[in-house]
Amino acid sequence: MSWKIKALKKSPWVFHVNTGACNNCDIEIVNCLTPKFDVERLGIKLVGSPRHADALLVTGVVTAQAAPRLREVYRQTPKPCAVFCIGACACATGIFNSGYHVVGPVDKIIRELDPNAIIAYVPGCPPKPEAIISGVVQALSAI
Amino acid sequence: MTEALTDIFWVLIFPGFLFTGIVGLVASYIVRKVSALVQWRVGPPVRQPLTDILKLLGKETLIPEEANRPVFMAAPLVGFAGVLLLSTLLWVTAFWPDKAFVGDIIVAIYLMVLPSLALILGSSASASPHAAIGTSREMKLVLGYELPLVLAIIVVIIKSGGQLSLAAIAQQAPVLSISGMLAFLVSILCIQAKLGFIPFDMAEAETELGSGVYMEYSGGLLAVWKLMQAIMLVALPMFIVTVFMGGFGASGLPLVWGILKYVLVLVLVILIKNTNPRVRIDHAMKFFWVYCGLILFIAVCLATIGSAWNINWL
Amino acid sequence: MNREELDNKLSEIRNKLTGIEHTTDKRIYLLCESENAYDVCKFLFEEVGTRFVIASGVDAEKRFEVLYHFAYDSLGAVITVKASIRNHENPAIESIAPFLPGAEWIEREIHDLLGIEITNHPNMKRLILADDWPEGVYPLRKEMDAKLADGWRCKTSSRPPVRPASGRKVPLGKPVLPVGPFHPLQEEMEFFQLTVDGEIVTDIDMRISYNHRGMEKISESLQFDQVPYLVSRICGICSASHPLAYVQAVEEIAGIEPPERALYVRTIINELERIHSHLLWVGLAGHFIGYDTVFMWAWKYREPVLDLLEEITGNRNNYGNVKVGGCREDIPDELIPKLLKELDKLENKTEMLTKAVLDDPVLHARLKGIGILKNKDAIDYAVTGPTARGSDVPIDVRRDDPYAAYGLLDWKVITQPEGDVFAKAVVRLLETLESIKIVREALQKLPKGPVTVEVKEIPPGEGCGHAEAPRGETFHYVRSDGGNRPVRHKMRAPSFVNVPSFRASCIGGHIADVTLTLASVDPCYSCTERLAVVDGRGKVVHDYDVLLRMSREKTAQIQKDLGWPGLKLEDPEIG
Repeated sequence: MSWKIKALKKSPWVFHVNTGACNNCDIEIVNCLTPKFDVERLGIKLVGSPRHADALLVTGVVTAQAAPRLREVYRQTPKPCAVFCIGACACATGIFNSGYHVVGPVDKIIRELDPNAIIAYVPGCPPKPEAIISGVVQALSAI
Repeated sequence: MTEALTDIFWVLIFPGFLFTGIVGLVASYIVRKVSALVQWRVGPPVRQPLTDILKLLGKETLIPEEANRPVFMAAPLVGFAGVLLLSTLLWVTAFWPDKAFVGDIIVAIYLMVLPSLALILGSSASASPHAAIGTSREMKLVLGYELPLVLAIIVVIIKSGGQLSLAAIAQQAPVLSISGMLAFLVSILCIQAKLGFIPFDMAEAETELGSGVYMEYSGGLLAVWKLMQAIMLVALPMFIVTVFMGGFGASGLPLVWGILKYVLVLVLVILIKNTNPRVRIDHAMKFFWVYCGLILFIAVCLATIGSAWNINWL
Repeated sequence: MNREELDNKLSEIRNKLTGIEHTTDKRIYLLCESENAYDVCKFLFEEVGTRFVIASGVDAEKRFEVLYHFAYDSLGAVITVKASIRNHENPAIESIAPFLPGAEWIEREIHDLLGIEITNHPNMKRLILADDWPEGVYPLRKEMDAKLADGWRCKTSSRPPVRPASGRKVPLGKPVLPVGPFHPLQEEMEFFQLTVDGEIVTDIDMRISYNHRGMEKISESLQFDQVPYLVSRICGICSASHPLAYVQAVEEIAGIEPPERALYVRTIINELERIHSHLLWVGLAGHFIGYDTVFMWAWKYREPVLDLLEEITGNRNNYGNVKVGGCREDIPDELIPKLLKELDKLENKTEMLTKAVLDDPVLHARLKGIGILKNKDAIDYAVTGPTARGSDVPIDVRRDDPYAAYGLLDWKVITQPEGDVFAKAVVRLLETLESIKIVREALQKLPKGPVTVEVKEIPPGEGCGHAEAPRGETFHYVRSDGGNRPVRHKMRAPSFVNVPSFRASCIGGHIADVTLTLASVDPCYSCTERLAVVDGRGKVVHDYDVLLRMSREKTAQIQKDLGWPGLKLEDPEIG
């Protein structure tokens, strides 16, 4: 395994993108920083700029207003990077499938831009912080 | 020939890049671990700073289209070079005092400005409004603390009787006198600002906010910035130890004593970082120019009187 | 006024109405034509003294209707003005925003979604649909049903997002990426845009559209008992209040009375949610002013409450516990002693936190006098919840129109007169303590019995249900035609009326206080990230992170001036 990938797995910096979520998943992501879960132990850091990020934590069904922004954020994240769809809405739109303002789950938007994108799914409504951490770690181990 | 090779060895391996780099990464780890413990968290493992840098080196480097490419790319390298040379200079003074040259303290002061200057250049070359805000704050901050820092060093020079050589200054411990202690305290705060730690981190905020001067950097260039920060954690406290606290010894007991002094300065920096919230830029400038300036003015007077009448404790 | 006097007062405007209906003794419908709607609403707001709740636009096949809902809190009544617009081709109605600023947003939304023209509106711009939404497509009109069933979905252009101020575009498809107008942190600047003069805020404008998922339309395609699942996902942290309000509206239509045990269970879940929501707010407020230890501490003590909710309902948020006719799950009696014990511990910690906050001089200096929402503005903007109670508007749905078991328990409504951020913080902290008492009493008084009744059909009719969420009043209006699905379902979250009041409390204040003022309204978390400051020419001067930093710097300065080391929070469990 190349040293680049090895280092990436031990130090994944994440950027959080909300493309139209009800905030449950977002709050659970912030919960991961708090003392009960403390993801800094795993080298995970929440960064403020996608240019510093190795992974995007995307929540929400992608609404029409949010779609162009999501594309921009993905393009501005240096590769290699992984996209994590957190929550049922991001994985597959869930109950909002028939919404007129919904453009489609996250992977549809990302694959239009980059067919070779690395996408991982953490379902749940909302997924518990343990599930989120476990999902991120498992996906990274599988690279 | 061997002279040149020795110099290269010093700069690159020991006590230069490799050695200082490792010490710097360990110091960054200590800072993060202590901050985590204060917040009832566990914090990262020891290898984390190194892993961060390795990972950044493996990522692609994105350069904004509207940025000034040469300046954007050269800035981190310039800053890194400056801080590396500074640390090499300080180590040489510590371990091989006879190699030191007169006037090296002036060189040290110039080298210390380089990282801040590089940061300003790099972020203004980024062509991003966010970085621009960070740039203006960094500029104001540098204007704020450079003067007190230089004044503090002047205090030490006066006390040492006009010596301009680091090795000579390192023979005494000015911190044991009143003026020296005042200068020491002020320079700790200046170091805090130079390192970009709370309460003076308004140019680059904490990781959760993350925007500011480093915003447009990614990949290898960001790795160079991070490495520069790590080495600053070694170079700047060492500078304080050399100038104010009587320096490092070459071996044996003085060496251990020197390491303890370095650790003490590092602990002070971490303590200040963890017990204070952020300060507004205009308040920071007022703080440095007015309060620190006043304190140092008093210190300079005391030092002058002390050295004129040979009263050491002044 | 009592009920008789209210009826007499309403009869003064009788000449402008075409009819008055009462579905229950607390729900009054005043029918009128669209030309008279302005006068009737003005009468209700100014003469009768009601509070504006929301307006629902309805496409009723041959005509349009705009229902203006007003609440008469001292009797717990909801008076709805049902204005009929007969012209189906070019519907229009006069705006009531000139005397009721709180109606500005909802009128923009009605225009966006139904295509009804609102004349005399002070700021008619797109509010809720995306920038590149096609013109002439109005999602809530019935003609859209066929299109949507056919699989019509909105497409987004692949053009990059354009910042409204500068309007410059940069082409895609290069390895070296452009920066500038499309910066991802700037994408959010369309949410709130403040205009400043030096350091003082002079105006703000807001744009929402990110979270618009079209729930009202989706609700029309779901059956009545599927809707609670949809509706609890309006907002993650008011996720118990929305289904409760909806279910109460439907129970009103069908005349169903849930069993007593169900009322208590509903109360317990809602109050537990209020506790963890207020603790979340305390943490975020601490984060904004630079006390990250408070942030970590408050969120650490939310965890036991979330664990309790998980034991009762199976999920930390989105409980799915409410249904038409009662509750889905019961609280097992064996769990009650454990719940009571946890509540005692929680009460201890919350009291400690409240005392620390109330006694801290830095917090006093930082939060007092900031972001003042005057009593008159609170009424004009129709705010609810702690935002209103902090400005001495003593409204609380739990007391005004008791639902669930609130009428059977003994508790107080907390208000504060000053209207600043400190007052709102005090209201929230004291409410948390009050909620703990309510849960304790409810657990002790929990009656035996079933927790649901069977529901066969929902007859035609309309109902209004409201509940007090942690942020304020959630209001749901449901109309049924006897079928399986709602014909119209209007949902109103409290933040919809609270966030626009940000205008009144922020203008004239300092930039460093902007994040804090917005946070004091307690909007949903993602709303607070959309903040930027522009100067007169539209150039971004500060963005959210900078504003946050300024807020914390101001705190630090105050701390220094007072020589105060910081909040002391002991945690005896940790060594």
